[in-house]
Amino acid sequence: MTFTPRVVPFGERALFVEVADAFSEDAVAWSRAIADGWESGGSGVAVPAYASVVLRYDPDVLEASDAERRARELIAAVRRGTARSGGPRLIEVPTRYDGPDLADVAARSRMSVDELAATHAGRDYTAYFLGFMPGFAYCGRLDAAIVAPRLLRPRERVPAGAVAIADGQTAVYPFTSPGGWCLIGSADIRLFDPSREDAVLIRPGDRVRFVRT
Amino acid sequence: MIHIEVAGFATIQDRGRIAHQRDAVPVSGPADPFAHAAANALVGNAPRDATIEIVGLPFVFTSDDARVVAVTGRDVRVTVRDRVPSWTSVFVRSGERVTIDGAARTRYAYLAVSGGVASDVILGSRSAYPRAGIGRALQRGDALRLGQARRSAEDAGHRVQFEYGDVVRAMPGPHLDRFDDGAVARFFAEPFVMTAHGDRQGVRLEGPSIAPRSGEILTCGVVAGAVQVPRGGQPIVLLADHQTTGGYPIVATVCEADLGLVAQRAPGESLRFYRVERDEALERGRALRRSLDSA
Repeated sequence: MTFTPRVVPFGERALFVEVADAFSEDAVAWSRAIADGWESGGSGVAVPAYASVVLRYDPDVLEASDAERRARELIAAVRRGTARSGGPRLIEVPTRYDGPDLADVAARSRMSVDELAATHAGRDYTAYFLGFMPGFAYCGRLDAAIVAPRLLRPRERVPAGAVAIADGQTAVYPFTSPGGWCLIGSADIRLFDPSREDAVLIRPGDRVRFVRT
Repeated sequence: MIHIEVAGFATIQDRGRIAHQRDAVPVSGPADPFAHAAANALVGNAPRDATIEIVGLPFVFTSDDARVVAVTGRDVRVTVRDRVPSWTSVFVRSGERVTIDGAARTRYAYLAVSGGVASDVILGSRSAYPRAGIGRALQRGDALRLGQARRSAEDAGHRVQFEYGDVVRAMPGPHLDRFDDGAVARFFAEPFVMTAHGDRQGVRLEGPSIAPRSGEILTCGVVAGAVQVPRGGQPIVLLADHQTTGGYPIVATVCEADLGLVAQRAPGESLRFYRVERDEALERGRALRRSLDSA
């Protein structure tokens, strides 16, 4: 069954646009392209995710009905394939594979610790979108051979810089925080720095590569 | 400058950091946007000026020069030599000590000083979000710069009328199809009680179960006011410091004008959600803004 994208109000100052009801790289890219178009068109701020995007607007400037019309136009326009100009950036994350869940995940995945590290570092990932906390980029897809469900009991304290995996995705924790992903490594990088002009290191759409150190 | 003598727990907040949500930076801004807007209006500030949001009371400060100030919030008490009314612009002389305190139900108080707090702008906003190293809680001994005063002594005594009612306007949410009709009907009819789990990120409510049909949705962007319902069926209303994305179905969205009614309810108090459509939500916002025209 094909999913028809829908546009519904999300409060009186935003629209919720859903382009698919299941994860796919295609849905992620489509959502992000809608967000890009919304922001570059000056309509407001957009928050893309796996298969949806929240489009914010100022109802004093843009009538709700006009906002909805623009959203529908964008859904169709970016679907027809507007390639990103310049191509994605590549962000390298120097990684020590020393996380507390490394041995566990390796065992579940029927690999040695070294094989797990090599498998994780062995491919480039796409940063799907940012969420959870400033600078936290959901990246995928993991090699299907890596078996890493979320922890049943999330940790109260995951250190900043922890390299984590869960449910086919990988990420680096920008701050010390609670967290439910499996920790396989650590990286000395600053993912979020409000004093930088570009506050986040990894932006949606970037290619991300973990480099063993 | 103003000098802080007792800090309680207070942060500088303007309307919020809206432009960096894609970087997963929360909007922040006031938990009670109308009380913040009213305080600004009362001292002649622009809507984008920064106020001080005070959660832990009391808060005590003095000002180097004479300024018009206003304090808003629920059941807040203001003393400048004698008790002075809240939600009212008050003239404070140079060096005079101002004490802001609350009562049992007080959660968020807003202090606006004419001219606004002129702290550093970080990523387009003065709003503090200490968790990510953006600003910090104010401390005793802090001296804060102010913008140019916009009102003089003769221009004090303005007042804004506002009641913290228990009926909260909310629009149907983006995942309404995840809830059966009975759950939606209960949400908009039954009272919910505030639990003790609440902060600037959001508040947990307790009431009849409005569990979604299927608990799993793909993580999506969210807005302040979104009413998320985890599998257990007890709703969470997102407030100013909410994460930019969420993974629970959203049954409704509290309209911006009524966010403060949720933020300011004390644990144990109840509230009801009243279903409105977009036009009514917008109209409520405009009506509140008009009520500030004479401030």
